[in-house]
Amino acid sequence: MDIDLGRLVDALPGIVWAGSADGGVDFVNRQWCEYAGLASADGCGVGWQDSVHSEDLPGLLRQVQQMLSAGASVEVEIRLRRFDGVYRWFRCSATTLTAPPAHPRSWCCLCTDIEADKRAEEVWRANDFRLRAIVDDTPAMLTLMTPEGKLAYGNRYMLDFFARPLEQIRRKEVFHPEDSPKVEARWLKSLQTGCPYDFEARLLRADGVYRWFHTRGLPVRDAEGRIVVWHLLQIDIDERKQAESLMAYEKRVRKMIAADDPLPAILMTVCNVMESMTACRCSIVLLDSMGHLRSAGASSPPGSSVADDGGPGALAVRRNEPVIVADIGADSSWCASWRDSILAQGFGACWSTPIPSKSGGALGALVLEAWQPGSPTPQHQAVVAQFTQIASIAIERARSHEALRRGETLLAEAQRLSSSGSFYWRPDTDELRLSDEYHRIFGFAAATPVSIERLCSRIHTDDAPEFVALLERGRNQGGDLAFSGRLLMDDRSIKYVDMVAHRSNELEARPLYVGAVQDVTSRRRSEETLSKVRSELARVARVTSLGAVTASIAHEVNQPLSGIVTNASTCLRMLAADPPNLDGARETARRTIRDGHRASEVITRLRELFVRKDTAAESVDINEATREVIALSRTELDRGGVHLHTALALHLPAVAGDRVQLQQVILNLILNAIEAMSGVEDRPRQLWIRTDLDDVDGIRLSVQDTGVGLEAHGEEKIFDAFYTSKSGGMGIGLSVSRSIIESHRGRLWAAHNDGPGATFSFSIPHDGAAASLHRSSGADPVSPQQPPRYS
Amino acid sequence: MTVRQSLVSVVDDDESVRESLPDLLREFGFVVQAFSSAEQFLASEFVLETRCLILDIAMPGMSGPELCRELEARHQAIPVIFITAQTDQALRSRMIDQGAIDCLRKPFDESELIVALKIALRSH
Repeated sequence: MDIDLGRLVDALPGIVWAGSADGGVDFVNRQWCEYAGLASADGCGVGWQDSVHSEDLPGLLRQVQQMLSAGASVEVEIRLRRFDGVYRWFRCSATTLTAPPAHPRSWCCLCTDIEADKRAEEVWRANDFRLRAIVDDTPAMLTLMTPEGKLAYGNRYMLDFFARPLEQIRRKEVFHPEDSPKVEARWLKSLQTGCPYDFEARLLRADGVYRWFHTRGLPVRDAEGRIVVWHLLQIDIDERKQAESLMAYEKRVRKMIAADDPLPAILMTVCNVMESMTACRCSIVLLDSMGHLRSAGASSPPGSSVADDGGPGALAVRRNEPVIVADIGADSSWCASWRDSILAQGFGACWSTPIPSKSGGALGALVLEAWQPGSPTPQHQAVVAQFTQIASIAIERARSHEALRRGETLLAEAQRLSSSGSFYWRPDTDELRLSDEYHRIFGFAAATPVSIERLCSRIHTDDAPEFVALLERGRNQGGDLAFSGRLLMDDRSIKYVDMVAHRSNELEARPLYVGAVQDVTSRRRSEETLSKVRSELARVARVTSLGAVTASIAHEVNQPLSGIVTNASTCLRMLAADPPNLDGARETARRTIRDGHRASEVITRLRELFVRKDTAAESVDINEATREVIALSRTELDRGGVHLHTALALHLPAVAGDRVQLQQVILNLILNAIEAMSGVEDRPRQLWIRTDLDDVDGIRLSVQDTGVGLEAHGEEKIFDAFYTSKSGGMGIGLSVSRSIIESHRGRLWAAHNDGPGATFSFSIPHDGAAASLHRSSGADPVSPQQPPRYS
Repeated sequence: MTVRQSLVSVVDDDESVRESLPDLLREFGFVVQAFSSAEQFLASEFVLETRCLILDIAMPGMSGPELCRELEARHQAIPVIFITAQTDQALRSRMIDQGAIDCLRKPFDESELIVALKIALRSH
């Protein structure tokens, strides 16, 4: 077959030329001419070289020479200039043409346009470079691992972190020993199952510091799904972890504060936290209420005294500002004892920060002692700032609690001292809260809830209806409540209590009673005792003053006895006469009988005065009682040379009371008046006894004398027990008299006369007045008013 | 008999004494005058006639001892027998010391009275 080689070469999809070893070309194909925009003749000889990029030509020629010497082929990428002056990349495949031996070798080459490929490659190259930069500059570790788990690649960040070549990095050496087993297990699992790897662990940095990293690993699979490589991203999360643990610590401390844990325990925890966060030794000093420094954590026992020796901690407190000793060894300005001791323990720096109070003062100081000289880092400062605040909160809270506790203790003590308890009661739900002292008064076990029924069961059965009625009133009507009654205790003893409750509308919308209860048993007992003593005194005074008038009384008795004896003697004589004087005897016998009755009456009255008895109120006619007393005192009056005037008002109403006691008072007043006039010689000794109705529904009795009168301003004093103006008298008479009158709801008073002497008076509500009084007190069922007591 | 004619005066504020004692004395044969007070006696015409004075100690106004002093002052020496309802033991010896014949405590026995009267009347 005759083939036109020239046409064939022209038809090839590429530029073809052929040349000799000297670089000259004797053939270019049509593609060359079309591409370069030149004629075939232009390419022959060395003309073709002009179309090759000047940078590529020397290489090409050198390659061709080498190729020709070796008789081989070669591929070279060169740029050829197009007709429009634009260079495009071509792959130039040259080969040595076989020629007879000793014949100069020639060559030919086919250049195919690879511009598109070259472009793509350039783009790829650029991208690769950028990616590499990105990978290396990424602030995280980027790692490739083989499917077997071998480290294949690590970015610059990683290499810098470990500061050693990739091949020297051993996984088992770089993880924190605590984390290593878990890391192994997780990684193995991912390798075996192909599940993504996601874990946090500490890695050992070149400087010996462990830092937390979060590692995420994803497998890359080929078309068949086989894992080709693992891509691992490891991000430094140490600061986040620090912040997290700081937050966790803070939460723990705040929890302790909220739970009111003891302050030393809280401050101890603060110190422990500071130590784990800063790798320094931490201690806290506190100012106590006396202004002394006390240890509150870590280095020395809590509460122990801290030497206020001018060390940095003390200074920070005193100055209320941070004191930084960056290099203890180089700073000789500190007192030797502190400095020597701290250096001996191996510390290099000491940073003290005041713990602020709410008012801006210093509660104490947080002292960090660092092993190496230096100043606190920003991280240290942040942690210190955070925990001095927390310590401040804990200290302030503990102190206010302490103050509150002290206050509560004082209040409880006050309640105990005053034998008073407090309570509140909600009438709608019967919710009841009692104070400790209330429990004690009512004999309930401390701190046990008490129902309203239990409370009611404690009230003495006689008083319970009144109490229940009060509760009903509280539920239905409102208003303040008051109760005065008895409790029956478990041991059958009786307690007297006064209770008041105020309905509070301010505190809450729901009705609420707030009140107090007071144990008034001892007061009642002393009142009873006093009352007994008073009645005893009254009896003593009665006997004493009657003793003082024994003569008078004996006189009164002996007088009729004398008549009896004399009359009887006379009677006998008359009967014995011859003839018997029967009329005379009859007369004297009659007189005997009369005098006998008289004696009997006297004795009856005396018996009433002498025999002590607890009497009930009876209706007493004051005039009649007065007349009896006058009869008894007649002798004393006569003996004292006293002229008696009586003015007893007619038709006086009766008074309710103790007849004998009232007579005792009247007798006292009369005897006192006689006594007061005993030394009076320059004027008549006159005594007026008057009874009448006074202006306020009372019956008044007054005894007016012309005696020495009252000492100036002595009106009240003379009623004091044992006060007496008489040398031999018993001053107790008047005070007892006043007690008696007051127990009859009356009053007893003394007044100067216009002329000489004094007037003693008493007034007592009469029966009608007493009844109306009773009605008015009955209007208030909770009135603590007691009926008058007679004893 | 001189005794029978002797005037005995009784001075006592107690009416039952003034009633009963004169009757008894009359049974013994005395002439008796009764007075309710010292003042009444002093004012009477019987002071000089009175051979014996039976005198209460405690009386309204002038007391028995005061009457004695008054009579002494008038140089009217009349034997005095005090009678008293008072129980004071020391009173009797005190009165006797002061010149009284006796001091009888009411109620007294008639024999006591007669003994004292005999002494009083014999002394004159």
